[in-house]
Amino acid sequence: MTKENVIEIHNLRKTYDKGKIKALNGIDLEIKKGEFISIMGPSGSGKSTLLNMIGALDRAEEGTIKVAGINLMKTRDLSEFRSQEIGFVFQMHNLVPNLSVLENVEIPMYETRVKSEEMRRRALELLEAVGLKDKADKNPTKLSGGERQRVAIARALVNHPSIILADEPTGALDSKTGDVILNLLKSLHSKEQVTLVMVTHEPYVAEMADRILHVLDGKINNSS
Amino acid sequence: MSFFTLMIKNPFRNRTRATLAIIGIAIGIATIVALGMVTGGLQSSTQSTLKAGSAEITVTKIGSGNFGSSGGILDESLVTDLKNTNGVKDTAGILRVNSNVSTPSGGSGFGSMGGFLVNGIDSSKLALVGIDSVNGTIFTNGSSNEIIIGKTVAQNLNKTVGSTIDIYGTEFEVTGIFESGNFIYDTGAFTSLSTLQNLTNNTGKVSYIQVKVNDNANASQVSKTIQDEHPNDLSATTAVDLANRINQSLGMIDTASWAISLLAIVIGGVGVINTMIMSVFERTREIGVLKAVGWKDRRILGMILGESIILTLVAAVVGIILGIVAVEIIFKFFITSQSFEAVLTMDTLLKAFGVALLVGIVGGLYPAYRASRLAPTEALRYE
Ligand SMILES: Nc1ncnc2c1ncn2[C@@H]1O[C@H](COP(=O)(O)OP(=O)(O)O)[C@@H](O)[C@H]1O
Ligand SMILES: [Mg+2]
Repeated sequence: MTKENVIEIHNLRKTYDKGKIKALNGIDLEIKKGEFISIMGPSGSGKSTLLNMIGALDRAEEGTIKVAGINLMKTRDLSEFRSQEIGFVFQMHNLVPNLSVLENVEIPMYETRVKSEEMRRRALELLEAVGLKDKADKNPTKLSGGERQRVAIARALVNHPSIILADEPTGALDSKTGDVILNLLKSLHSKEQVTLVMVTHEPYVAEMADRILHVLDGKINNSS
Repeated sequence: MSFFTLMIKNPFRNRTRATLAIIGIAIGIATIVALGMVTGGLQSSTQSTLKAGSAEITVTKIGSGNFGSSGGILDESLVTDLKNTNGVKDTAGILRVNSNVSTPSGGSGFGSMGGFLVNGIDSSKLALVGIDSVNGTIFTNGSSNEIIIGKTVAQNLNKTVGSTIDIYGTEFEVTGIFESGNFIYDTGAFTSLSTLQNLTNNTGKVSYIQVKVNDNANASQVSKTIQDEHPNDLSATTAVDLANRINQSLGMIDTASWAISLLAIVIGGVGVINTMIMSVFERTREIGVLKAVGWKDRRILGMILGESIILTLVAAVVGIILGIVAVEIIFKFFITSQSFEAVLTMDTLLKAFGVALLVGIVGGLYPAYRASRLAPTEALRYE
């Protein structure tokens, strides 16, 4: 069974500091729908930049990038694409302090036409899926690091995206807590059939994926 | 949680900063409200001086001012003279003296500076000074020592109908209490002209003359005629002139209040810009996250602008309450004569909210624009 590509990237280039830093130096990459990909590579090699390109947080200078059927080089307003197709999980949970856990999970739904009762219902459903329904009204500052990252995962999933982009999601956690997060991501991946692209430094974590990409100096080195 | 609730909640995430910003703007709004209330009060008291039935023209001796004329400085014969002028319907000569009855200590303001003003007038002419009804009965002309007093005097001296007041060593009986609506008269008293003339050695003399013109006559025209006929000794002022002059002073207060409003807008605006820029700065990462989860630039702009407006509208409510309380305190403890009351008009309220809204928009626009233009990757890298 050959699945269609959800991500197609050809010769993608991105520089910073007026061309001095070549963060992406000709990336060629195809990812199939529902695949679990892990990306490895030394610090500064361009892993985050690549994820940001896929998630349309920034634009490349050269090449082509097509994600979920949308040409990211040609589309002007990418906010709708981000809200519908992409769920980001960052190394830092990036939750909004002083908003409750529930309210944090609701945030991505403001750009959709969902009514506030439905927003609440869906956020609670996701919090249940990550095992934090009972903490819904807590302030995120009262949660442990692992719990915060689970809230961030619930937030990433709440709009039912087709792709989850996780940039070192366990990087700030101890290995035991990290494993809980990884298992959660992996089970959500298989249950929800989303495409999961995850940056990680841990080889044993990377092994969980269908495919490992090695990024070096803004290029994809080899694949296994 | 609705987007609106989120906007209401956000400014108060940093309580100290929100409180400081609100206090700053609220003081400006309170000043606008307080000035507005005083102007409003003055306006309503001057409006009531132009009562139907009362005289349109006040004739005084040249150089004696409009309100300042007291003592017997005009010959009473002029009262009949003026009545024969073209266009004049009726005239009333009034002798005004100071009662020397001092009001209780602490009193200040118009009616109580070392006593109140006693006016002598023919009882049939009371309508010309705007007194068309009294609580009690009016005084009788002639030698009977009867007096009617303004409601402000009654309050300040604690007098009722039947009380007595000592004026120039003579006991006067209060037969009535009036409310003319004119705050100068309401802080004074009226008695029989001849009685007051005899009592104060002003026989045949009056202080000023009130002139009522015919229904079809033009007050300014008649006023001019009177002045032309007595070029060296009489000065005539129409109530309209007077009102215009008072309105000019009110206009100045109004201008001052606008200037203060402008100042409040500028100072408040700078304060709000500062507050909101700080807030956007601190929330750089958060804004990056909002963009990453798909918020449009427009929504981020709307959120920050909305937060700014909510901050200033809360400040408006606080400022209005503060202004009203301040005016109430000032009037309770410092202006006891109740010569006039502060009036909170719809205009003042609208102005207060208008200014607050303007400050919110002006102060929020730039920070909101900055926030909406943040590059998501930069914002997310921000420490
Ligand atoms: N916004 C930016 N401005 C300037 N340089 C950047 C920016 N983002 C990334 N870079 C640079 O681009 C290169 C790749 O960075 P990044 O993709 O974050 O690497 P990784 O995630 O693999 O550690 C690095 O040299 C980094 O310093
Ligand atoms: Mg990185």
